[in-house]
Amino acid sequence: MKKWQLKLSLLLIVVLSITSLASVATAQDTFMGLTAEQLFPGAQTDLERTTAMAALQAAGFPDATGRFAGQTLTVSVQQAGPRGGISGPYYFWREAFQALTGATLDIIEIPQAQYYTTTATDFLTGQNTYDVMNIGGWYMGDYVTNGWIQPIDGYINTEGYPTWEPDQVATPLYELLRWGGQTYAAVNDGDAQLLYFRKDILESPEWQAAYEAEVGSPMPYPINTWQDLLAITTFFNGKDWNADGDPDDGISLHLRSGGQGHFHFVTVAASFAITPAAGDNPRAVSKYDNVFWFDPEDMTALANSPGHVAALDYLVALTATGSPSQVGWELAEAWNNFLQGNAIATFSWGDVGSLAQLPDRSVIQGKLGAGRIPCSTQWYDRETSTMMDDAANPNCVGNVTGGSWMPVMSANTDTAELAYYFMAFHANRNINFWNSTAGWTGVDPSSLYQLFPPRGTASVEDYAQYGFNASDAEQYINAYGENLFSFPITLPYLRIPGTERYWNALDVRLAEVMSGQNQPQPALDQVATEWENVTNDIGRDLQLGVYQAAIGYTPGG
Amino acid sequence: MYRKNRMGLFFLLPGVIWILAFTIFPLLYSLALSFTDRQLARPTSGQFIGFENYSKVFQGIASSVIDTRSEQGQAFFGAGASAVDVRVGETIPTTIFLTLGSTLLTLLLGTGIAWLFNHDFAGLRIFRSVMTMPLFAAPVALGFMGLILFNEQSGIINTVIKAVTGGQWVPWFSQPWPARTAVLLLDTWQWTPFVFVVVLAAMQSIPTELYEAARLDTRNSWQLFSRITLPLILPALGTIGMLRLVETFKILDIPLSMLGGGPGSATQTYSYYAYQVGLKNFQMGYGSALGYVLVIVCIIISTLYFRRMRSRYDQPKQG
Repeated sequence: MKKWQLKLSLLLIVVLSITSLASVATAQDTFMGLTAEQLFPGAQTDLERTTAMAALQAAGFPDATGRFAGQTLTVSVQQAGPRGGISGPYYFWREAFQALTGATLDIIEIPQAQYYTTTATDFLTGQNTYDVMNIGGWYMGDYVTNGWIQPIDGYINTEGYPTWEPDQVATPLYELLRWGGQTYAAVNDGDAQLLYFRKDILESPEWQAAYEAEVGSPMPYPINTWQDLLAITTFFNGKDWNADGDPDDGISLHLRSGGQGHFHFVTVAASFAITPAAGDNPRAVSKYDNVFWFDPEDMTALANSPGHVAALDYLVALTATGSPSQVGWELAEAWNNFLQGNAIATFSWGDVGSLAQLPDRSVIQGKLGAGRIPCSTQWYDRETSTMMDDAANPNCVGNVTGGSWMPVMSANTDTAELAYYFMAFHANRNINFWNSTAGWTGVDPSSLYQLFPPRGTASVEDYAQYGFNASDAEQYINAYGENLFSFPITLPYLRIPGTERYWNALDVRLAEVMSGQNQPQPALDQVATEWENVTNDIGRDLQLGVYQAAIGYTPGG
Repeated sequence: MYRKNRMGLFFLLPGVIWILAFTIFPLLYSLALSFTDRQLARPTSGQFIGFENYSKVFQGIASSVIDTRSEQGQAFFGAGASAVDVRVGETIPTTIFLTLGSTLLTLLLGTGIAWLFNHDFAGLRIFRSVMTMPLFAAPVALGFMGLILFNEQSGIINTVIKAVTGGQWVPWFSQPWPARTAVLLLDTWQWTPFVFVVVLAAMQSIPTELYEAARLDTRNSWQLFSRITLPLILPALGTIGMLRLVETFKILDIPLSMLGGGPGSATQTYSYYAYQVGLKNFQMGYGSALGYVLVIVCIIISTLYFRRMRSRYDQPKQG
């Protein structure tokens, strides 16, 4: 080879190398030919943009532009806006979804209070506006029994669609995606209420000493029981423990009518009113054990059992250790009160853990403590009709309280494949993980890849790269894992037909008690009466069958 | 002539079709529904049940004065006491409070403001236009505005109250009567201009000669108002009062958007509950019966009013 030929070859090699490196670099900066700026116009920080881009690239979504180009997908979701809980992620990933499919995504927001009415009316009048609906788990009974939605088992992890891993979804949450042995929803949000508190204050030796001096016993920390929590919030309520010059709150709850406040009661009442089964399997369902809503033999409402009443008495006492305005608070107001450092504790969904990391929402980053939902030293045993009191062996009941907002596919959609592509896109591990790390998305952890070992496979670093404080991440994610896996039994999830009506009755009466218009016993008596009337209206036999199946009760079993 | 009439009928047709389709048909259909147990999304429902829904409504209303759990209640309602829909009864005090309260307040304030504006002063036209602005707001939007204004922590109203009282504040959203009062104030704020506009027109139609003659005897403003103005605007006030009663009896938007009917059921009005039953629970039969009872009450109010007005104007002339 002549010298000039060698030089030319070397030059060509160098040019080719530079070109390929440049093209690789360019490829990393774009997705389906779009830059991060184009894909995520709603991103507010570079961190959001870069991590979202990385998640998108790691997801390995199949290019489906050839199949879906020109189609339109209409999705309904709770109204919270482009940066709001649950609706936010649909906007955030919209350009990416459209780039992958060539389809148009129409997002229709519906106020939470009108969601069921609007979507149900749409089906009942045959309009079939929505291809995908983002529903709360409690809608499932109505949606499935009326034939409004269709199973998605035939699509899961078939070629040409985004992959997601149903076996990674925590079992109690996975059950919510299913009905009658079939999968109707893809995973999105994983709701469970857990306890949040101010770790910096409760672990402060000064405050611990002050507590002991005032109460006469050591501060019950870590908080294991509801009774511990009440003792702590009672002590801190009205004291200026955040040194801002104003008295501060013990607890921060949202109890406004129609604002999901009744979930607080349900979470508390679980450990006051549910008993585990004796023997090897504490989760075995019988007439007396692992039941909360209705007697599984005849649908008699249990809302006014002594356990439920004791729980409401407790909730009244706990609420009194916080702002009197809690009765009128929406969810965000209660969260903000805690995140702004004005309350020592709250118990709520996973959002609090991730919202605490947002500087524009929270002043408590790095100060967050979290634990699984407390147990109760008092509970009612229906079988023996006795109120139990055992501080050494409290009754512990987990929960998946909340909507665990999940996308389901309309039975009448004419774009079923595109609809599933959308559902699987959001259920994909990379997208779902990203959503659960951004507080504003309202998407909470649901799957093992979001939990820490030994239950899951995530690490503190996985969260830290999204801006989490390491201590907060450890507290929050460990508490989530404990909440889902460490309890011997879990509150059964109510999702039979008419659940909205049952909950409305409960919600109204609870708010009456909280605002001083009624007392716990008569209020819950009224709830029980109204539940009986709802059951009779819908049909006791129908409800009994669905309820038994929903909680896993076998008649005569 | 006949051809002309036929043409006239032709032009009337769209209006007739409109009324038949959107007024008469829904009215008759919902009347028929009110005698059934029809529930949407429950295919087996829709059976004819006679007056059962109406009986349920009236029992519910009765429960506002007779406690179903008391001995008297057990005796009155019999074995079905537990099935009485007490939620209907619970809406009655709130509905009466808002209906009477808002009607009286709007009449008083509207008349007072109209009296002020019935005088000549600079900028009268601008003030008059500004005064009518609340009328153009959607009640739902007003409810959301109320959320901001009455917010217990950061609302302007409590901020002012705190400044005046040295820290005391009103629990507008968390206690029943303050919550009802907040709804009352918002509704009054919206509808006072309506009363103002009508009453002002009535006042301006009074011949000035009457005042000029009266001023020969007195210059006392109250006497002029009570002896001349008030009697002459009374028919207008009566009409407005009737309209306001009917309108306020249907109040739903503000309690729904501002308080979700809460705290508890404190701001749930009768209309709110009818909406809840029919359009949220999908109990179309029962919801229709609730609606019809509301219609009947409104018809009774307006009939009584018009009968009274007729008797007033139809009196035989003397001499």
